[in-house]
Amino acid sequence: MVKQQLRQLGEPICLYGEGPADRRNRLKEILSRLGEDALKKTVGGQQEADTPDHDQERPEETWYHEGPQPLKEARNFIVNYSIPRARARLKREHLENQVPEATRTARRQEVQNKLRSFGLLGSQNADARPICYCSFSPNGKLLATSSWSGLVKLWQVSNCLEERTFRGHNCYVDCVEWHPSATLSMEPTALNLVSSGRDGTVQLWSLNGEEPLGELPTLEARVSRVCFHPSGRFLGACVHDNSMRLWDLEIQEEVLFQEGHSKPVYCLAFQKDGSLAATGGMDAYGRIWDLRTGRCVMFLSAHQNPVLAIDWSPDGYHLVTGSEDNTARVWDMRQRRCIYTIPAHTGIITGVRYDRIGGQYIVTCSYDGSVRLWCHGSFQPMRALEGHGQKVMGVDVSPTEGIIATCSFDRTFKIWGPD
Amino acid sequence: MSLSKREYEDYKAAVDKMVYKYVARDRSSVVSAITHAVDSGCDKRKVEDKLMGYVDKSMAYKLAEKAFLLLEDIGTKVKSTSSRKRTHKEDNDREKDSKRARVKDEKEPVPNIKASQPPSSGPNNTVSPGQIQAQQIKDIMAKAQAVIEERKKAMANLQTTESKPTTNGAAVPLISQPSPVVIASAGSGGGDVTSRIAELQARIQAQLGNATALGISSLQMGAALGTTVASTAKPLGEQSKPTPLILDAEGRTVDQSGKEVHLTQRIPTLKANIRAKKREEFKQQLQEKPIEDTAESNFFDARVSIRPSLRVKRPFKFHDQGKFIQLAQRERAKARLEKLQNEISQVAKKTGISSAAKLAQLEQREMKSVCDDSPDIEWWDAIILQGNRYPEEGEPVKVKDDCITRLIEHPLEMRCPSDPLKPVTLEVLLTKQERKKLRRMNRRETWKEKQEKIRLGLEPPPEPKVRMANLMRVLGTEAVLDPTKMEKHVREQMAKRLKAHQDANAARKLTPEQLRDKKVRKVKEDTSTGVHVTVYKVTDFSNGSHKFKVETNAKQLFLTGTVVLFKDINVVVVEGGPKQQKKYKRLMMERIKWAEESRSKDADIESKCQLVWEGTTSERSFGEMLFKACPTESFARDHFKKHGVEQYWDLAYGKKILEEADSGN
Repeated sequence: MVKQQLRQLGEPICLYGEGPADRRNRLKEILSRLGEDALKKTVGGQQEADTPDHDQERPEETWYHEGPQPLKEARNFIVNYSIPRARARLKREHLENQVPEATRTARRQEVQNKLRSFGLLGSQNADARPICYCSFSPNGKLLATSSWSGLVKLWQVSNCLEERTFRGHNCYVDCVEWHPSATLSMEPTALNLVSSGRDGTVQLWSLNGEEPLGELPTLEARVSRVCFHPSGRFLGACVHDNSMRLWDLEIQEEVLFQEGHSKPVYCLAFQKDGSLAATGGMDAYGRIWDLRTGRCVMFLSAHQNPVLAIDWSPDGYHLVTGSEDNTARVWDMRQRRCIYTIPAHTGIITGVRYDRIGGQYIVTCSYDGSVRLWCHGSFQPMRALEGHGQKVMGVDVSPTEGIIATCSFDRTFKIWGPD
Repeated sequence: MSLSKREYEDYKAAVDKMVYKYVARDRSSVVSAITHAVDSGCDKRKVEDKLMGYVDKSMAYKLAEKAFLLLEDIGTKVKSTSSRKRTHKEDNDREKDSKRARVKDEKEPVPNIKASQPPSSGPNNTVSPGQIQAQQIKDIMAKAQAVIEERKKAMANLQTTESKPTTNGAAVPLISQPSPVVIASAGSGGGDVTSRIAELQARIQAQLGNATALGISSLQMGAALGTTVASTAKPLGEQSKPTPLILDAEGRTVDQSGKEVHLTQRIPTLKANIRAKKREEFKQQLQEKPIEDTAESNFFDARVSIRPSLRVKRPFKFHDQGKFIQLAQRERAKARLEKLQNEISQVAKKTGISSAAKLAQLEQREMKSVCDDSPDIEWWDAIILQGNRYPEEGEPVKVKDDCITRLIEHPLEMRCPSDPLKPVTLEVLLTKQERKKLRRMNRRETWKEKQEKIRLGLEPPPEPKVRMANLMRVLGTEAVLDPTKMEKHVREQMAKRLKAHQDANAARKLTPEQLRDKKVRKVKEDTSTGVHVTVYKVTDFSNGSHKFKVETNAKQLFLTGTVVLFKDINVVVVEGGPKQQKKYKRLMMERIKWAEESRSKDADIESKCQLVWEGTTSERSFGEMLFKACPTESFARDHFKKHGVEQYWDLAYGKKILEEADSGN
């Protein structure tokens, strides 16, 4: 009773070393200060306060506000960047469509056979704490892993040897991502890697320094994923204050603060053209944003539980989302609908990836400890890789070879590939 | 079974000897027991039982055995009473049930001469030959004749109705038997009833004549007659020393002294023999069917095979040339084909061709729906581009006016579907002391209010509460004046209080419907924030009890879903809350012993249940649990597609195929 009333008044219900008698006296004192009907007031006041808050949080219709000046510039840049790429992509697609059906079928068969023969190529104990994210370098030679110990490590893919350790975070590192041109055309001293911590720090790394190159202004909330725009000029981040941010790295300024999810935004992916960005939130919805106009062009609503992973197919219009409801859904941007639901795992899905080369298959990983390969098209299970004994926390597909890397709660990362 | 006096004495002596050999004490009682039992017609078993009283079991068995052997030695055929009963019955049944007669055909059930014994006299009534007077004999004979007449008629009727041989058994001579059977009618001719009756009649006539002349017992007479007949019939019968077979009026076999004798019946025990016999009988039946009740048939024995005068010419049967060669070749080709098919399937398994083909089939199905023409321009690019086309290479990108702004959109935020509609409030848990205190305070408050009202006169003061204990104190003088009345008053008040209390309790109690609803409510779970779905795959669903369990548990747990039965891919989908799913999962994975209780005939399939998928969806796809038997794969998929969840089937089917492919590789 006393505790309940104290809680209603917003006072601590128990102080250290306080007995029931002391607590009673404290309540009496408070009540004498506030008056007898303070309790009733607080109960009524809370209810009144709840309703208007609710209305304020949820406006009735879509509204706009003016962003910063660099935003328009950035958008223009993205237009000029994405349109030629889209044209080139479509050209390739047309060419591809002219390939006779038999050849395509044969190619699919080949991919299937490759998937069927997937096996473990290498495994490495990477840290003393769970490894929560892994990512292949654009040239496919290196693998970056991030750990709950706060370390980011680089590994050689071929022999699973450690290349470098980055010490900078002093909390869980949720994500580490490569610059799109890192290890290809980027100098090692320049910005090559970005990592985000649970305390809201986003650190930028070169390939040869132990210390971070720089740090973005610390955010209030956890940054679960960071991702480079394909142009390499922008850096997107999902922040757990229900927003998605976009930094222009050239002018080192935040150009976009995008709201739209009612709960924290958990994952983010940029389309290969660079024109679209997809975000998945803890509110179980996904949204696709047109980065040029700033509009939400598609709303992905089918999942029942938070969307934890999202990825674009290299064909530019297919999209896969993985969710806590143990399903992965495949969406078609052209048809603007979910084309298939993959009942993929018996645990929450923590990572999904499309094949980076042809978009021929999908890889999913889950807390049920398995990594599964699915054919794109038939969405049939092709192979289950069950080497990790524990929750698998992240997966990545090599951009050059057909190999995949997974990292797990069991503090190892594993490389899988066709035998 | 009765023995004649002389026989009895002989037998007794023999038994005495035998017993002397085996038994040490109580000899006389054992002997008397055996002889008595045998004399009174007990069977071996009964004799054995009786002997058990004197000697131990094995000895009893031995003695009984010996005793019966002796009995046989003496020259009497002994049969058990039970089997005798059977013969009696059979005699009666014969007309109705000729089939049974055929089986036990060694018996001679022909209605026979009524021998000297009157029908009323049982088999135990031994009549000494000297006692019979001529007059008596005459009477008996007259009676016998009457009986014969009757029988004759009956037989005539029988032949017309059934036209089956009633005495065909005689056709099988008792080869192994030491005493040859001699039947009045010549040897094998026992079957023809009417002819035999005529013959017998003649014999009786002779007997009558002899009886008066010789003054011997009719029985001996009959025996003598029998021997004479036998001697005449000898050439036809067996060669070894014949024991004359004499039949009395009721068709029983009797010996010379007129005692009934039971021929050991040979019933074939081997299946082959039984079959052979049956076949023979059947043949006979066929042959005899055409026999009609004509005067001619009276003298015609159907069983005597009349050989045609001329042998039928049997032509050669020639096979066409190469017929068997062809047959053999066909067989060989068949075997070769089978072998080839086997090999092919083996190779296919090894190389994974079959699995790959199946995979390809799966692939094809989906690709059709996915493949479509790619557009010239993506719609999201078309929105912003001028001219609705991509600019050529080197051409600057022309964008529609006012498309690119620095406005930031704030779309409507949607509520998370897994969030509860009502905010979850933290309940304050009170300790037991706190709860007690709260109750005490509340009650005190109401009591105080009531007191106040009473004090103000708004409510009448309550009646003083009296118990038996405080009776004197509360009611004082009144109680002293009339204690009985006051006690009654007190008891009434107490009863009233108790009733009020019980009524209050009863009013609080839930009605049966409410109780039921409450139980259902507890089992059912709120699925507004997500339906938990589980998909199981069972390889073998042949056991009906499994089906029952799967269905009944789903119903009891208020789970919805479906079961699709298709060969060895049986998919069970259930939807409900997490607790329900937990219980159901335990049922499927642990409680049902799929492998042990499998009823499948196919030994290759090991029955098991696999959890294919579990997760959450926003809505239920199925209604109440239903079974669906699907003849084809596409049918099963269509069933799921109808409910919008074809992915469950795809997954289960795909997994199965991959498993097969894996095992094949």
